[in-house]
Amino acid sequence: MRIKSALAAAVVVALAAGCGGGGDGGSSSAPDEPVKLDFLSLAWQKESVAANKQLVEEWNKANPNIQVTYVQGSWDNVNDQLVTSFEGGDAPDVIHDDSPALSGFATKGYLLELKDKLPAELKSDIPQSAWDTVTFDDGKGAKGVYGVPFLQESTVIIANKKLLDAAKVRMPTPAEPWTWDEFATIGKKLTKGDTYGVAWPMKSPVNKTLNLALNFGGTFFQTGADGKTTVKVGPQEKEVLQRIHDQLYKDKSADTSALGMGTADPLPGFFADKYAMLPVGVYLRQQVAEQAPDDFEWVTLPPLKGTGSEQGAVSQTLSVAADSEHPDEALKFISFFLNGPNQAKLAKGDWLLPTSQQAAADPAITTEENGWDVATASAKNLVVAPFLKVNGFDEWKSKVATPALQEYFANKISIDEVAKKLVEDGNEVLERYQR
Amino acid sequence: MTATATKPAPPARNARGAGGPRRNREMWVLMLPALVPVLLFSVGPLLYGIGLAFTDAESGKNHVTGFVGLENFGDLLADDTFWASMRVGLIWAVTVTVLQFLASLGLALLLNQKLWLTGLARVLTVVPWAMPPVVIGLMWRLVYHPDAGIVNSTLGTDINWLADFTWALPAVIVMGVWSGMPQTTIVLLAGLQTIPKELYEAGEMDGAGTWRKFWSITLPQLRPIIVTITSLDFVWNVNQFSLVYVLTQGGPGGQTRLPMLFAYEEAFRYGFFGYAAALGVSIVIVVLALLGVYLWRQLREAS
Repeated sequence: MRIKSALAAAVVVALAAGCGGGGDGGSSSAPDEPVKLDFLSLAWQKESVAANKQLVEEWNKANPNIQVTYVQGSWDNVNDQLVTSFEGGDAPDVIHDDSPALSGFATKGYLLELKDKLPAELKSDIPQSAWDTVTFDDGKGAKGVYGVPFLQESTVIIANKKLLDAAKVRMPTPAEPWTWDEFATIGKKLTKGDTYGVAWPMKSPVNKTLNLALNFGGTFFQTGADGKTTVKVGPQEKEVLQRIHDQLYKDKSADTSALGMGTADPLPGFFADKYAMLPVGVYLRQQVAEQAPDDFEWVTLPPLKGTGSEQGAVSQTLSVAADSEHPDEALKFISFFLNGPNQAKLAKGDWLLPTSQQAAADPAITTEENGWDVATASAKNLVVAPFLKVNGFDEWKSKVATPALQEYFANKISIDEVAKKLVEDGNEVLERYQR
Repeated sequence: MTATATKPAPPARNARGAGGPRRNREMWVLMLPALVPVLLFSVGPLLYGIGLAFTDAESGKNHVTGFVGLENFGDLLADDTFWASMRVGLIWAVTVTVLQFLASLGLALLLNQKLWLTGLARVLTVVPWAMPPVVIGLMWRLVYHPDAGIVNSTLGTDINWLADFTWALPAVIVMGVWSGMPQTTIVLLAGLQTIPKELYEAGEMDGAGTWRKFWSITLPQLRPIIVTITSLDFVWNVNQFSLVYVLTQGGPGGQTRLPMLFAYEEAFRYGFFGYAAALGVSIVIVVLALLGVYLWRQLREAS
């Protein structure tokens, strides 16, 4: 009996040791061993994954002392995944994400502040307006830079060229874009038979409407003298909401059944002449170019103009985890990964706009082919999205704004009701983040 | 549950108790290997979670966690989204459990008949059980796909089921019923097979028809099984997460945000760990209360 209980005790001790010892392994490496970095990438389009992997490989070949491992992540669950790995202390060293997420992570102290560590070359290649999209409060009152912005998205209009030509509408140029009024008139003109002028895929309506609302100066958030941020929905904010609603229910130039769709879902209808125009992100050109039937002609049209052409911008970013053991090496890798020529490759792979000025001049992304010239020109309209600096925006978005806007666009509530919801329910949510 | 079968139990227990302290200690030593994992991986996290519910734990390195007493529960009671989520959760759990039970009972009765190919049919019944929830979710996403899904093409409708405010919850419920049917069917089928044939023969002698036999023999005989499986299903359904997470992520606009999804979002999306733990504790309390009432009534009626 004694032996048996001793054995049992030994098993218990071994079990406990096995469980407790997992956390701190692997931190001590000999000085001559190469530094190992994990790079969490969220690239998902085929070309973009290939570009990412190729750059990592290039780096690994050139830097035997700093070896980078490519880790594939997904936009769907990256932020849940990061919260758990930050809390658990095993976050990847180099993290691909976007600026709305950085805002929260910066305040929580998960990310390394980069302002004084950035190489001058990288700093000057990216314009200040892009750096603004990654400058956040550190949670203790100071401001810092928490990532390197590299890809941005603008909303353009992808249109069926044959239908536009047949309706004899004025072709807009980046210098002289359509106004929203013109857009409404043209939408009506293009609506006949089975064809709708526009499809607004509004499965995730919030970022899209908020970014476009800047056309009329609508910011949706205001910060008072006491430093408290509140939601504001006034005449400027209502402009774009009302105009989209009018297209759906007054002009009937937009198809209501497209409302529940994700950005890429209207494409089959677009190719079948069911929709003449799609106001969508520039990246959708990739799927259009790839999936369009051979005889289908399409054009990329510049962003619309309200009182201005400004659109709210967020950036895709690379950041360094605060817990990373090799922050300097990680930053070296980022500087290489996001230099001018490499950004051009990444932008081309993702069909997005690079922040690097050197990359923006690259012939590969200024050609007329597939609307690159119009897309790249739209970058000048991008300003930092006001909601980026709002703590609790993510919760406001998913709990209040998404359902409220969906109901509004489904014509279930009026514009005043949606405004009231966004403000009253919204302020309640924001309250939680400001105490 | 099967009160009739376990009558000789009490004398045996008395005999075991006479072993003395030495036998008692041996018993503990032998149980230790089984007990440690349970304490470590089950009871430990449970207590930790209950503890968290009384703190303001949040994600973030700058945050110092403090004890806040019942504040989280107070906030919860005043939170409209919580009540909305509880409502969705109860509609989901009750409908799914009831429909699952009815459909499974029908299926079990059918499979209990001597029909052609019963063996094959019984195997097919278990198939949903063998599929991981994530695969089930993905599969049903295709079923409900607005353009390519078989629901729209069979019914000739043009509804985006999972994005529609009215249809999302019913659509998710149908999937829930389907995916939970195997367990229920198998258990009910096993129950049906334990009913002695003599009872039916006696019933026939007294001139009972099919319905009469079902009401007066099958149902009463199955009662303990029914109570067990419906209570298990109910707990299971209240705590359902993965199926709905894959299918709708709680959308559109929170129409399918089950309590567990809500807790997950609070914890891992917004980082309010304490609040999410309070939510978890409340769900446990609600489930225990509902189950308590149900079981108490069932047992009282049975005795």
